[in-house]
Amino acid sequence: MSILIDILLAILGVYLAMQSLLASRLSQSVFLFFAFGLALALAWVRLGAVDVAITEAAIAAGFLGVLFLDALRDFSPRDTEEQQNLTTVQNSLSRKESKSLLLPRLALVLGLGLFLLIALEAVWKIPEGGGLTAAAETLLPESGVEHPVTAVLLNFRAYDTWLEIGVILLGLLAVFAVGGIQIYRKPIAAADDPLMRQVILFFTPVLFLFGAFLLYIGKSGPGGAFQAGVLWGAIGILLHFGGIPVYSWVPRWLGHLLLTLGLVFFLLLGFLFMAAGDNLFEYPPAYAGLLILIVETLAAISIAAALTAIFANLNQMKKEQPNDTAQK
Amino acid sequence: MEIYQIYSLTSAILFVIGLGGVFAARHFIKKIIATIIMGGGVFLCFVSFAQRDALTFADPVPHALVITGIVVAVASAAFALALARRIYQLTGEESFTNDK
Amino acid sequence: MMIKEVIAIILLVVGCFFFLAGTIGVLRFPDLFSRLHALTKADNLGLGFIAAGMAVYIASPLAALKIFFIWLFTLLASSTSCYLIARFQKEQEQSKNRKEQG
Repeated sequence: MSILIDILLAILGVYLAMQSLLASRLSQSVFLFFAFGLALALAWVRLGAVDVAITEAAIAAGFLGVLFLDALRDFSPRDTEEQQNLTTVQNSLSRKESKSLLLPRLALVLGLGLFLLIALEAVWKIPEGGGLTAAAETLLPESGVEHPVTAVLLNFRAYDTWLEIGVILLGLLAVFAVGGIQIYRKPIAAADDPLMRQVILFFTPVLFLFGAFLLYIGKSGPGGAFQAGVLWGAIGILLHFGGIPVYSWVPRWLGHLLLTLGLVFFLLLGFLFMAAGDNLFEYPPAYAGLLILIVETLAAISIAAALTAIFANLNQMKKEQPNDTAQK
Repeated sequence: MEIYQIYSLTSAILFVIGLGGVFAARHFIKKIIATIIMGGGVFLCFVSFAQRDALTFADPVPHALVITGIVVAVASAAFALALARRIYQLTGEESFTNDK
Repeated sequence: MMIKEVIAIILLVVGCFFFLAGTIGVLRFPDLFSRLHALTKADNLGLGFIAAGMAVYIASPLAALKIFFIWLFTLLASSTSCYLIARFQKEQEQSKNRKEQG
């Protein structure tokens, strides 16, 4: 009986994914993508992956959705007349193109159909009994935490997690490289609404507390550095919308320190115990719980800082443009 | 039919939808969304088989990999978005065009 | 034991009814303001009933408190976003009118 929910959820996910790509307006696309992320989060819960569900809802649907929405304002037509001219040009183009595109489109559909059959068959036949559940179960007492996912993330495969924090920083550096470093300069006034500011000021301590709760509970249940980091990052983004751009108040050295804190401390700790004769990122079981909590806290701070900086830099990139041309 | 079978089949469908989107979608943002959907399909496949191999708890290694993967996908999508916006600012193009 | 479950089921069904009504409103109402009205009012009430149903079903004070906070925060967030969407629409309409007049 409960399998009915899973079938409905699967159909909903596929439908939302298709509609999100087929929608005629870009804003529809983005909102359907939001909904797709949330449907996927429900699927994670059904599969017993609550950690993944929180991560998906917070970062893939929430954070990425905000980035897309922010980009929408950039891409939306500046002048309706200009846009109308553009669409008529595009229409005539697409009519001309449509004949020459018929064959490639047919090939694409056929190719995708074939690929789908192969993928379905491959997925159906994945052999049983591969997993590492048993290994994780026997080693869990040595990891210093009670929750298996946290044990894998921060102890057994800490190297992956360290690199992951590095990838977020790399993403920020790539955004800096493309758009220039915008976050430390004085931002052009963000939207300011008295009601919104009050609601955001109310939510700020709540989000902070909830992030800290997720960080602490990661030891024994779903939660941990990433979920907490995204929630703390959400504080920075919300405050921006409330007209309080905290990121621009941070001095440059402090900003850089916050961004790299998690990555550097994580590695230093790894090297410290390597010098004592263990492998890289291998912690002595007696202190592992405490060390993991410290590493997670610092990692969450760095993740929060990086996410806020990515959002703020993308947001300011757009606004900087007309000003720059005016100065020149 | 088991739960993992439903979701693993869905994962294959999602992957192909995303793949089609990467080829067929015109606008940059839609192309980025398509890659994220493709990634979602892959993650769903991982986690559905983690659920199948569960003993007292579901296999935590794929869970950890998927959490890592989601964050990496979002970081790369943010970079792609920065590129797309920069291209739009500089050239006014919203998609890759073949002519000219 | 049975009474608890019956109460929970009744509350959940009532909640689902309000969600259904809100969704029909979103799909059928003609303009943005009445759609927002249907969405935020009916759905918040529906969520309240579903939250109450779950709290009765779980029957643990701590869980009930958590569910109450979830409902409260959703209420705050959805009414604020409703206000923001409505304000945006109104600004759009005003600027449109100004363009037509001027």
